[in-house]
Parts: sequence; C-alpha cells; structure tokens
Amino acid sequence: MSKLFPKSANKLPLQIIIYLGVLAGIATAGVTYYMTPKYARVGYAPVQPVPFSHAQHVQEVGLDCRYCHSNVDKSGHSNVPSAQTCMNCHSTIKPSSPALAPVRESFEKGTPVPWVWIHQTPDFAYFNHAIHVNRGISCVECHGQVNDMDTVTHKQPLSMAFCIECHRDPQSRLRDPKDVFNLNSKRLVDQGEAGKQAAEKFHKDWKLMPPQSCSGCHR
Amino acid sequence: MKRKFDHSAPSDQEQLTGPKYWRSLEELAGTPGFKAQLVREFPEGASELEGVDRRNFMKIMAASFALGGVGLAGCRRPEKFILPYGKSVEGVIPGLPSYYATAMPLRKTAIPLLAETHQGRPTKLEGNPTYQPHGGAASLHAQASILDLYDPDRAKAHTKGDQALDAAAVNELLATINRNYAANGGSGLAFLADESSSPTRARLVRALRERFPRAIWTEYEPIADEPPVAAAQAAFGAAVRPVYNFARAKRVVSIDADFLHQEAGSLTYARGFSSGRRVTKKSDPMNRLYVAESALTLTGMMADHRLRLASSHMLAFAAQLTAALVPQTAQNLAPYGQGLQLPAKWIDECVADLQAHRGECVLVAGAHLPAEVHALVHGLNAALGNVGTTVNYVAAETTPARSNLNGLVSAIKGGSIRTLVILGGNPAYNAPADLDWPALQKSVGEVIRHGYYVDETSAVNPAATTHIAAAHYLESWGDARTIDGTIVPIQPMILPLFGGLTQNEVLARIAGDQKADGYALVAETIVGLAGQGANPEKTMQKFLHDGVLEGSALRPVAVRFNQSGLERLFRPAQALPTFGKDNLEVRFVADFKMDDGRFANNGWLQECPDPVTKISWDNAILVSPKLGQELGIDPKGSLIQVARKETAEYTMGKEKAFVFELTVGDRKIRGPLHIQPGLANYTIIVPLGYGRTVAGHVGKGAGFDAYPLRTSDALHIATGGKLTNTGTRALLANTQEHWSMEGRDIIREANYEGANSYQETPNFVDTFGMESHAPSNIGAVGEAMTPQERATKVPRGNSLYSTPTFDGQHQWGMSIDMNTCIGCQACVIACQAENNVPIVGKEQVARGREMHWLRIDRYYSDGNIDAEAFGGEGNKALPDDPQVSLQPMTCVHCELAPCETVCPVNATVHDEEGLNVMAYNRCIGTRYCANNCPYKVRRFNFFDWNQRRLDELYLGQLGEFGMPELVALGKNPEVTVRMRGVMEKCTYCVQRIQNGKIQHKVKMAQQGTPGDVMVPDGTIKTACQQTCPVDAIVFGNILDKDSAVMQAKAREQDYEVLGYLNVRPRTTYSGKLRNPNPKMPDYKPLPASRIEYSKKNEPQSHGDDHGHGSPTAHGAEKKGGH
Repeated sequence: MSKLFPKSANKLPLQIIIYLGVLAGIATAGVTYYMTPKYARVGYAPVQPVPFSHAQHVQEVGLDCRYCHSNVDKSGHSNVPSAQTCMNCHSTIKPSSPALAPVRESFEKGTPVPWVWIHQTPDFAYFNHAIHVNRGISCVECHGQVNDMDTVTHKQPLSMAFCIECHRDPQSRLRDPKDVFNLNSKRLVDQGEAGKQAAEKFHKDWKLMPPQSCSGCHR
Repeated sequence: MKRKFDHSAPSDQEQLTGPKYWRSLEELAGTPGFKAQLVREFPEGASELEGVDRRNFMKIMAASFALGGVGLAGCRRPEKFILPYGKSVEGVIPGLPSYYATAMPLRKTAIPLLAETHQGRPTKLEGNPTYQPHGGAASLHAQASILDLYDPDRAKAHTKGDQALDAAAVNELLATINRNYAANGGSGLAFLADESSSPTRARLVRALRERFPRAIWTEYEPIADEPPVAAAQAAFGAAVRPVYNFARAKRVVSIDADFLHQEAGSLTYARGFSSGRRVTKKSDPMNRLYVAESALTLTGMMADHRLRLASSHMLAFAAQLTAALVPQTAQNLAPYGQGLQLPAKWIDECVADLQAHRGECVLVAGAHLPAEVHALVHGLNAALGNVGTTVNYVAAETTPARSNLNGLVSAIKGGSIRTLVILGGNPAYNAPADLDWPALQKSVGEVIRHGYYVDETSAVNPAATTHIAAAHYLESWGDARTIDGTIVPIQPMILPLFGGLTQNEVLARIAGDQKADGYALVAETIVGLAGQGANPEKTMQKFLHDGVLEGSALRPVAVRFNQSGLERLFRPAQALPTFGKDNLEVRFVADFKMDDGRFANNGWLQECPDPVTKISWDNAILVSPKLGQELGIDPKGSLIQVARKETAEYTMGKEKAFVFELTVGDRKIRGPLHIQPGLANYTIIVPLGYGRTVAGHVGKGAGFDAYPLRTSDALHIATGGKLTNTGTRALLANTQEHWSMEGRDIIREANYEGANSYQETPNFVDTFGMESHAPSNIGAVGEAMTPQERATKVPRGNSLYSTPTFDGQHQWGMSIDMNTCIGCQACVIACQAENNVPIVGKEQVARGREMHWLRIDRYYSDGNIDAEAFGGEGNKALPDDPQVSLQPMTCVHCELAPCETVCPVNATVHDEEGLNVMAYNRCIGTRYCANNCPYKVRRFNFFDWNQRRLDELYLGQLGEFGMPELVALGKNPEVTVRMRGVMEKCTYCVQRIQNGKIQHKVKMAQQGTPGDVMVPDGTIKTACQQTCPVDAIVFGNILDKDSAVMQAKAREQDYEVLGYLNVRPRTTYSGKLRNPNPKMPDYKPLPASRIEYSKKNEPQSHGDDHGHGSPTAHGAEKKGGH
C-alpha cells in the first residue's frame, strides 16, 4: 500500500484544508469587493435618452437644483422634471436640436422620456429626500458633485452601510441649511473651528436623531 | 386637494384595444413607443458595445475573470426607468398622496369618504371627517370596496353575446331605444333598477317619466334595511322615516334590529350608541341596551339584557310592551300579545326603566319586521316623548310612481314588455324564487343590462342581452344622500379603467341626452338645489372640496301620532305560531360581509371572518344548541362550534360540518350546519349572498345559495322549515375554534353599578388576574415612576437578555376600549387595505394560515363552568344564551418582546420609539417568533400569496407567477409587498408614523422652528384607529402626558393583557363594562365571564355568583408593592 500513497500524502488533508481555506478566502474577498454596491454600483453611468449635462445647466445657466427637481424639499421622491419643465426654456433655446427630440415628443404626445434610473435604492428601502434636504444634508452627500457632471454617474455605494454611517454620525455631514443646494459649499465641520461649533449647535438645536433601527427605512 | 380633473375623453380606438389601466396618467400612456420600450430587453443602445463606456466594460470583464467565469452582468440590478409626466399635472407631487372627497353609495344611504390617490391611482379609503355624524369613520364594506375597482373579474367591455361593443355602438343602442319608444310614450319599455339615494338619478328618472309616461319604472332590493314607510304612514299620516340619535339615548330597546350593522345608517348609529356607552370616569353615564332578537347580531352582542325570541313573535312582544307602557291600549292589543310567554317581569321592569327615562330612551325595530311592529314602535317613541330628542322623522323620499317587482312581473307575463333595462342589482340571482325570474327575463325580446360584473342576470340569455359595463363609484361622477339626507358627491379618482358608464349616463342617454356627461349631470342637480343666484362654479367647487353639500340634511318633520291610522294597518290577530323541530322559523338575513351577494367577488370580505360565527369564505345554516341536540348533532364535548357528532371527521385538522337539507314548503336547499349560541331555540338563520354561480374567481362556489328558498310572501321570515341530515360533510374554515375564556382573565369585565361594580371599584381590572396575586413585575421602584419614565427607564425586569433602549423622541402606544368595540370588523379590512395584507383562500384559512394582522376575538360566557383544574369537565357544553365579549387583538408591541429573543437572525428587533419591528429582508422564516408570541399575532407567508394564484399554490414553480397588473395598481406604495417565507405582523402602521414625523419636521424646518420635532397628538393615526366607527382605538405618544392615548391609559380600567408575563405591552385594553338592570329577571350581579373566573380560581365559592368576596382585597394592596 505504501506504493500507492507516498509519505508526502500524509500532508494532503492539511494541504486540502489550507487550499480550500485560501480559496474560500479569495471567494469571500472577491464577492465582498466585486459584488457589493461599492464596486457594482459606483461608476454606473448609463446612456440617457437625452444627453443632458448637469454641469452645463448648473454652471453655465446657473439653475438651482429645485428648478427641475421642484418637489425634492416637499416629497420623499425627488421628481425628475416633466418635459414641460424642459420646454420652458427649450421652446426658444435650441428649439430644433435633434438631441432634444425625445423631450419635444414627450411634451407633444404626453409620452414619458424613459430616463434610466441610476440612484436606485431597493424596493424595501424607503428613502425620503424631503427630510434630508430640509435638515442640512446636501445633494452631494449621496449624489456626488452632480453640478460638475456631464453624464450623471453613480458616485457613492448607497449601500446600507453607507446610510448607517451617516445616521450614526450626522454632525460631520451637515451643511448650513442655506447651503444645502449650493453644491460647491463645504460641510460645516470642514469650515474650521467655528464650523465645527456650528455643526454641534445645529445637531443639538435641531434635535437631529436620524433613525438607526430598521423601521427608519424598512416598512 | 379636491377639485375637478379635466380628463380628455378616450378615443374609440383606445377603448377597443384591451385593458387601459393607466389612461389618466400620461407617464404610462399606452403609446406604441413606450410599449416597444418595454418589450425590448434593454433600452436602445444598451446592448450595443459602442454605447457602453470602455472603462466600465473592462471592469466588468475583469471581475468576470476574477470570479472564474461568474459573469457580474447577471448580478446587476435590472435596468429601470424614471418616467416623468410629459406635461406637469397641477397639484400632483410625485411621491405624495392626494386626497379627494367622494362617497360610497349603498342602497338608500351613502358613506362619505376621502380617497387617497397616488398619482391618480386610488389606494385607500377613509371616512370623510367633514361629515360630522361619521367623524371620519368608515364601514367594512366601504373599506373593502376599493378592491372591487381592481378586480380582474369585473366586466371589462360592453358586450352582446360574445361580441364586444365599442362606446359608439352602446350610444347608438341607447339612442335607438329613445327613438323607438318616443312615439308611444314608452309603452313596452320597462326599467328594473336597484335602490338609490342619488338626487341626480331621481331627477333623471323624473325626466325619463316625462318622456316615456307609459314606461314601467321598478326598484327592487332583496334586503330591507329601512323601516317600511307604510308603518309611518299609518302612525303619522305622513311618508316619513325615522332618524335616530343614539347619542342622547340612555336606554335603548332593540326589537330584532341590528342597528349597529344591518340597518341603514348603522355607521351613524354605532357612533352615537358608543358615545353613550363610553365611560372614561366614574361620573360618566352609560346607556343600557335591551335587545329582543332571534339571531345573534352585533347589536345583540352588545346587549345588557337579551331576550331570545322568534322573529314571528316580535309583534306579540311589541304589543305586550305597548300594553304595559300605555295601559289604555292594553285592551286593543291584548289579542296580539296573547300566547307569548316571557320571563316574569321582563316587560314590566323594562317598561319601568323606559318610563324613568322619558325623552332619553329610544325603541328601534328591525326593517324586516312587519309594518305593525314598526307602527307600534313609532307609537311607543311618541308616547315616551322621544320624538324630537332621540328620534326625528324626515321625509321619506321615494321615486314617484314606481312599481314593485310584482307589477313588472305581471307586465312581462302579459307580454307587453319588449325592452327591459336592468340597472344594477342581480334579479336572476336574488329575486324571489316563486317569480322564476330567469324565465321571465328570457321571455323579453331585448334586455339591456348595466352592471359591474357579468353575473347571473347578464348570463340568463346572453344572445339577447346587451351588457353595459358599469363604472366603479371611484370612476364615476355622481351624488347620494346619507342617512340624515345630507347630499354627498361621488367623485372619480381615475378615468373608467374599462370605459364603463355610470347609471346616470345610461339613463340620460335613454332619455335623449346623447352627449350626457357625468359631471354635467351632477352639476345640474347640485346647482339647481343651491337655488337662484348661486355661482355654479363656486357651488360645485365647495361641494367637491367639502364632500358634503352644506345644509342639505333633511329637516325633521313635525309628526303627530294618530292611533286611528293603526287600526287600519292591523289585521285581525292570529294565533301565535309555535315552533318546534318540525316547524322551524327560517330567517333570511343579509350576510355580514357579502350583504345580498353584491360583494361576493371581494376577496377581503370573503376572507374576513364573520364577527359572530368566525367562519370565513362560507355561510352556514345557523341553529341554536338546543335544536342541534334535537337534530342529533351533539355539540357536547366540542370546542368547535361546527356541528358534529363524536365520530368526527377531520380534514386539515378541522372538523367537518354536517350538511343538512332545509325544506320550506316544497323548496329545498342544502347547506352546512353550524351551531350558534344565542339564537331563539327554533329559529334558524340562513345568510343570503353566497352560492353565486356566475361570479369571478373569488366568489364562485363559496357557500350555498339560500335565495331559492325565498318566496314573495316570505321575503325575510318563513315558517314551516324542516331540517334533515344528508349525512354528507362540508369543511368550514373557522378562524376561532375556541369560544370560552375558560375562566381566565383575558377580557376583564365589571358591571357599571351595583356590588363589586365599576362604581365601587374603578380599578376592577387590578382585582383579578395573575397580577393581583403576585408582586409587581416592575417592583416598588417601577411602580413609583410615572408612566413616561416607566416606558423608557424602568429596569428591564432584571432580564438576562440585553434589552432595547428606548431613547427615541416619541414612544408609541395604543389603548383599545373594549367597552365601545362592537366587533364590526372595519379595522380588520382597513388594516388589510393599508398594509397590503394578502388573502390566502379557504383551504389555507382552514389550516390557520390567514394573514390578518388584526383579528377580533369573540368569547362566550354564561357563568357556568366546571373547571377542569378542579375536577370538572371544563367548559364544554355550548351555552344557549351567552354573554359575548369582543377583543381586537393585534401585535401589542411588547417592550420586552418574547419574539425578539428567539429570532436567530435579528429580523425582529425594537426601534428607538418602542415599535417591535420586522425586517422582512432579514427574515429567514424559522417561525420561532410566532411560536414564542403569547398573543399569537404573527403571520407567516407560507406561500407567495401575492405572486401565485390561490388555486395553484401547491404547484410551486410550475404555477403561474406574477401579480395581475390590475391588482398591483391597488397596492399601497408605502408598504412592502411581502414574499414567501417571511414573517409579518402589525407595525403600528410604521409607514404612517415615519411619514407623519417627516412631514412634521419638514414643515417645522420650513417655517423656522426646526427644533420642534414632536408630532402633535392626533396627527398620526393608525389605519384601524382612523376607520373605527366607535373610536375604540387610541394611538399616540406616551411621552406626552396630555395625549389622547395617555388619557386613555390613565383610566383605572386600563390593563395589560397577559401582563403577568412581564412583556410590557405597549397596547393596553380598557376593561369592558356591562350595565344590567338589577330589577330584571336575568340580572347577573357580575358579568358571566367574571363568574367563571371566580369559579375557576376560587372553587370554594362555587355556586356563589358574587364571586370574589372582596374584590378589592388583591388590587388595593398591589400598588403599594409586595
């Protein structure tokens, strides 16, 4: 029998265990890295039916977020503007641009422009825009510097860990309520000692207590 | 947010091309472009490489390699789209619901409602709080009616035979009728309509009659829910009907009248009755309810004194009552009252009590009783000075010159009817059997049927019948009157999904107005009523905004009782029938949920257990325990009330009921027998509304049809019934098999006054129960704290488990008043609608898998118990005449929740504000939590109820998957639709809490007081609380001392169910009070359940009905700590 199994075979079980362990480790690491939103969602920048540039509209035209996303401070859902909103300007500006054809068609026929949904939370997570923007959390915290984007890109993982981190420490993400829609503004804590104090005061005076339990987001 | 939407009319092309669910929503308009978009797996460009930026592509490829061929593309969430409006819709904010006033019409009344809509899609109905008599409450039928809108089985097109007709063809058909009958004044034209309180319909009928004076207009309803006008005509010489004011009545006598559910206006009445019943402090008065009835109804369950009496004996009862109350009538009435043996002094003491409350008592008679009884009741109310205080009379509106069904029948038999227009109703199913309606209908050349479903009537002779699809009331313009005559609007929330027409439109078109538009028809009526000089636009705007027409309630009419009128009404007295096993009295009653059968295809109502029998998905022949015994069906030894012998057969762990044949005359029906305590001995109750043969998937085949037994001369009460056992069995899905509390302290009751009563011991709830014998769970330290401190700080019972910290800004709690709860089940359906609770079907209910988050437990007690613990048999024999106790039971949100400690994956945990929450996406379905829940309120998704057809559950993956789009439209978007394998339960309507808090904080931040984060009391209402007609449920923040819920919890009769378990429920209950008259022969010095409690726990006091010698002995010292 010794012919069949050389002495080195005695180490085989250990080797197999180590091998499997390493394999499992690699798989776990791979899944954790590649299959979580941090990798799978961040960087997602699908082609939209209309090549709309936020950078152009915010920086060149000087539009406020709420010109188009007009209900973001009232509703849980931040509305994507109706074609009518676009046509307020585009009936006179670039009225015959081929890129805007879907918008014009939508306005005339009432059919929606099928914008690809980028910042998509799962169905069982109920995110509410109004409460965040009304209480010192700026658009950039979740959406990145949208004002600089030509193509909207998924910047933050928007995973549960991402939400919870902020809910555990909201103070460090606060902006002055006046600056929430000023996407170039800095967080209060990044504005020196005075800013830090303001953030602390804000946190206390506004009685900020973002929910950290399931019922905050899952219903 | 209430105004008229101006929808453009759909083109004919659109109406023909199948279902159109989203027509009022531009974002989902069925345009070819968008449809193509949906069909393509990926949007344009997505599947072409050039559209994907290179970096992303490389990333994906790299990941694929790294994972050895596991392509990550498959892990991507599917691409979804945001579809904004083309043109913005005024007043619509995506993500926020809008509310519009509307109303649900039902026979001659209506329930004013507020409909919650999400971008034009109604999802939930609430009572309209502007209508004071309802105070924002709604009935179970109103709550469930929204499901009918999204019923996949509703009529989806106008049809003739197999052929679909487009809108133009229907218009042409109606115009042809108009033309054909214009010349001869409508001779040969007949209408058969359901009853309606709509002023617009009344106006249109008048116009129709002017145009076609010789046409026959008939109204028919199988169920009577209003007193016959003939009785008032005789008593007062005027066509009036009574409207009761129960809030002012200190003594109520109900003669076979279920005014809490079945009678018209029951919602108003239940509300009034409960306001006279609510006791919050010792000085509050409490009304007293005397009931004489043959069935056991909601009203009977609330009774302080209940007399079981055959309905045929009610005239004798009323005659005896009248004779005792107005002695000068005694001689005249003696023959009518003769022969009825009542318990000694019952009448005398009841009358004495009424005499002592002149002007503040009220008598009510059931609508199904003969006019004589009503005439006597009118007289009694007048004699007691109640007219003008507890009962008012208003003009009874009837359509002029309407004929009854018999008139129409003889016209059809005479062959003079060529065109019959059937509006609503379902005569082929529910017309009296002796008329043989289907044959009559077949003999008419042309039948136009306007109906919501293609039902028995539409199916009689499809080739000659044109079925016009009716619009749901949530798709219609209309109006209606409530019980007090207030005019309320019916406003559409969405364009007719299947191009249905309203009754008004059909009538107007036949009358010649081809362009009739629902809105214009109503506006004409309302503006006409507002009178000269009113601004039409403003009038309508206000009408639609308020949801009521101000000042339109009918004014009380002064009436004068006229005894001579009664003499003409009364026929000579007949000998009182005696009933027995071979001569049974048969009562045909509207089923609690199905009504007359109109709600048969509503799954929510089918699955909702009957509040009395607790049977769902079926009706049953109800017999008294005594009759059951005589029939050889022995309920002894049975915990289940389904009739059985000891040789029981089991299926799915459930007993099967014997199927009996019921014979009246030469007509027979078959149905399962159910032994129901509380019935008159030889009266059997046969609920109508089941056994539909042409209904949708839900209604077809449920229960048995009792209409074939019903003849024109005995519509409500028949005599001479006989039951024979067929020997076969039928399974009934009963949701509460056990009827006794076994002398336990689950529901704690006391009498309002007398020895050991609430007046003597306001904290009676503390004097019994395990807690009264043991040291306080929270110790002296805890007892000394305020309730607020206790909710957040109390040492958590020295538990070994780590316990949650309650540091939230609010702490939620609830209190349920069992003293006012009437068991109407409106909360059960409201919860189902709000929380996307699925239905599971009869078979699964029989397995105990129903999903209702909220149930109403119903217990019987009669004071007789042979406690097993002390060598007796246990409480096994069904009582003949029990007291009933009702308890709404749902998750009580224990602070130290037993379910949480056993969850292996932390799927159920506490949040900061005291809610016991379920994280569905964490749940792996071990069901340990449900096992460990002492209240049995957790529900498990054994199947994918939402995605699978209920008749294909066991096919698993082989079955059809997916929810019909129409059904999906009705779901509440604020609540997750749960999947197979997860646990669920009451959440205290967490979506309402979160949205309420968010909206409050947003409002405060925008008005500059962001620190004000506490939601004002009353802003957040749970679904059950909002709809409760009797305000039995109070919910709110227990950190706020002044909140309504803390006021309720501060009452001395507030207690924790199973409090000794130290689970510290956030939902507490207020003890039930009974208010019996000590002088009555059936007076019990303690509530029956309390007698049973005493007997069980203190066997030495057996036979002593007083139970506790000193009920204060335990409780008084308890608070001081042991």
